[in-house]
Amino acid sequence: MVRWLFTVHGTASPTASGQSGVFTLTTPDVYGSFSFIRIPSGFKAKIWAKRIGGTAAFMAIVNFAPDATVPNPNWVAIDREYLASAGTLELEKRRPIVVYGKSGTEGIQFAYSNTGGSGTIFIDADIELTDEEE
Amino acid sequence: MSVVDRFGLVNENSYLVVYFPATGTAIPFRVLARVNKGFEVFNYGPLPITTTTTLSSYDGGTVTPPASGVMPARSYTPDLAFPAISGTPLVNARDTSDIWYLDENDRDRLFHVKMFVYPPIIRTDIRIPINVTQLRFQKERVVIGVSTVLGFTRGALEFIRLPYLRYGLRFGNDTNLNLYTFVSFIYAEYVVEVPRDADVIADILLKRVPSYWFTMPISYQDPGISDALRRVYGFTSTWGFKLYRHDQREQALKEYSSVLASLKS
Repeated sequence: MVRWLFTVHGTASPTASGQSGVFTLTTPDVYGSFSFIRIPSGFKAKIWAKRIGGTAAFMAIVNFAPDATVPNPNWVAIDREYLASAGTLELEKRRPIVVYGKSGTEGIQFAYSNTGGSGTIFIDADIELTDEEE
Repeated sequence: MSVVDRFGLVNENSYLVVYFPATGTAIPFRVLARVNKGFEVFNYGPLPITTTTTLSSYDGGTVTPPASGVMPARSYTPDLAFPAISGTPLVNARDTSDIWYLDENDRDRLFHVKMFVYPPIIRTDIRIPINVTQLRFQKERVVIGVSTVLGFTRGALEFIRLPYLRYGLRFGNDTNLNLYTFVSFIYAEYVVEVPRDADVIADILLKRVPSYWFTMPISYQDPGISDALRRVYGFTSTWGFKLYRHDQREQALKEYSSVLASLKS
């Protein structure tokens, strides 16, 4: 049984209210950056905690796609957190958000929808990839 | 007294049985000493892949790592060995391209290695001898391993390194992330002997005497293994000793005595 816990970091600089996008993510375990995480078949992605913040109000969105490998994946929001004003919001989950990798093409990404004008926003998320039962 | 210690390594004066599924035979070893007792942990470093290593892609074609020690997304390695780390005393190892290699004169030695790969999501398998796929499904109909959907472990692999055989370790990354890697080993360098008494061998293989059984991931009778076992130990016609039922002990003793007569001292 395998457990890999890692933290991803993403920042964005929206310039206007209503602007939305996808966080480009980095983590010390990964070379370069990435925009989504593909979940191997038989694994679960557990999102244990999120920290969102910035100088502008925004909605942080966790998206899921059953097939993240196609050119235009069908991303669906499965979780949203709203940063109402400049600052930081820490959200720790006693029960994580769990997404299953069934075919091995499933993926998750972190997106934003800006509601507060221009600024710098960020998200950190503690993610576990595991094939354990619970 | 347990046969193994807290690391799962065999204690001194206990027996290690190396079992070959391909032939239904086994070689029992008595562990006389553990050279590195108390110093079993070896933090090796990144996987031995460089920007010139060519990996196969799960999506077709080939891939080269973006940096040394990085497992590219959606790729698996060719057979690898762990070379000596430059600037360390390991450059004096018998074979600097494979630190776990023992040659045919090292019949009194065995390496028992537990390999741990980080991130643990990395797939791994082993091919003995190198480049010979041993993991099969439905007899020899389907070849499996890190390149397929089954026949691999993730993050950890245990092996017993027999002398004169070249092993190939493969690693796979089925995520979409270019992973920085790290490998650590927990190992024992055993000083061993094959028991020379047919009764003792029978007791071990009939499981009347406690021992640690390690099943070699070998399902295909490769001539390279026959050659190695002949050169190193003197097993001329078999890969060790055949397993018998309890009611066949007399037959077993007769055959074991015959096999023992051919072994090198």
